[in-house]
Amino acid sequence: MRRVLERGQIEAGAERPPRIRLPDPARLFAARAARFRALAREGAIGSSIADYLHLMAALADAQHAALDAIEPSMLHLDEGSVDGGTRLPSVVGPYAPIFRDVLGLLVRALAVRGDLPRSTREALERLENASANALERYADALLARRDDQIDPATAPFVMAALQVPYAAAAAGLSPSDVESRIGAGEGCPACGTLPVASVVREDAISRGQRYLHCALCATEWHLVRITCSHCRSVQGLSYLSLDGGPDAIRAECCDRCKSYRKILYQETDADVDPVADDLASLTLDVLLADEGYHRASGHPLLWNGR
Amino acid sequence: MTDMTRREFLTFSGASLAGSSLALLGFSPSEAVASARDFKLAKATETRNTCPYCSVSCGILMYSLGDRSKNAKSTIFHIEGDPDHPVNRGTLCPKGAGLIDFIHSPSRLKYPEYRAPRSDRWQRISWDEALDRIARLLKQDRDANLVTRDAAGRTVNRWTTTGMLAASASSNETGYLTHKIVRSLGLVAFDNQARV
Repeated sequence: MRRVLERGQIEAGAERPPRIRLPDPARLFAARAARFRALAREGAIGSSIADYLHLMAALADAQHAALDAIEPSMLHLDEGSVDGGTRLPSVVGPYAPIFRDVLGLLVRALAVRGDLPRSTREALERLENASANALERYADALLARRDDQIDPATAPFVMAALQVPYAAAAAGLSPSDVESRIGAGEGCPACGTLPVASVVREDAISRGQRYLHCALCATEWHLVRITCSHCRSVQGLSYLSLDGGPDAIRAECCDRCKSYRKILYQETDADVDPVADDLASLTLDVLLADEGYHRASGHPLLWNGR
Repeated sequence: MTDMTRREFLTFSGASLAGSSLALLGFSPSEAVASARDFKLAKATETRNTCPYCSVSCGILMYSLGDRSKNAKSTIFHIEGDPDHPVNRGTLCPKGAGLIDFIHSPSRLKYPEYRAPRSDRWQRISWDEALDRIARLLKQDRDANLVTRDAAGRTVNRWTTTGMLAASASSNETGYLTHKIVRSLGLVAFDNQARV
């Protein structure tokens, strides 16, 4: 984007853009629900899986409502008990009670809907009837991505229930502590989870900066543009999109490691949401699989079978 | 990065989606898979470069369409400031913001051209002809006008009748060599980092 600066603006804007953007849970899930619905509309990129996107929109609404159930004290942030208060736990342990409460709220919020397929209803019932211990073990398997223990039918709901306390806890972290861990690995500097996609932000504080978006806690961290988010190559990258589809959704494809993550451009569409847009543009994934590219990481709300 | 688990080869293809959350929850992935046939992939490239105009050397991102690996002609369709570049952080001056027109300008200089004295037209010449002619004229002028001593008899070896402008976006090494050659000839009027 071309910008013309007025006198004085150069000095005023000399502050570096943030390398960490912590989530704002009060907006996050509500905006995501709206985005899922927008992407499911007739003619939109997600219309071929509109029913699934509507279910995910209802799930995001329920996540938003479940935030009310969280007391800050439940996240242990005030005690600094989780790695000095600077890093989120890699197992559900400290958040187990709140995770189970949230999961219960999500399952009950969805179960009252009359339009659910029978298989969805059955998956929700399995979660409703699972023991506290089983749910905790399942959550840990998801966090550690132990694929052999994951049931693709229930995983999206459990992942959604994990997102709520993790995003709420991430919001209370110190950005400078989190920033110091950028680049330590491919995962999120706040919680260690792999990013779902990246987004080039175009707002007052982050003009044109690219951030990776955590699939779990929604923390965003900076990565230099034209860099493979998986193998860090800066050569052989190309940006593939659907010809005639949305310009705001492209796949950053790396010819060195043959992987990709999608990259969203807020300049083109102000409402992009990494979780919703990545899922809704499933058609792009199908074409990229034909081209021999594979995803650098999965999607929190769409899991493959074994 | 070296973790070669099956996640390395995770895809959302027609085959893998059949066992995915989508299918197991009672929704059909077939429409999404079928819709892939309605689309082609468009391929764009982003390339990092340095603005050629001045010595500030702003970082730029150049966007092009087309697949360079398949002998197709790629076309640059957009240029913007590089948000990651510490010098300009995504901004460009009005000249830099017009770079796309500079690239596509019909009057862009792409090869040496020569306009003879009193002629009204340019003619294309080869690089060899151009370099030979420049070298010959430089030597003639230097032989005729080099000042070896000033009025007080001190050795000065200065050549004031020719000037030189050099590139602004070259590396330190190129700048060093340019400087070394030009100053050894005695040239005084010289800007190696032109702010034109």
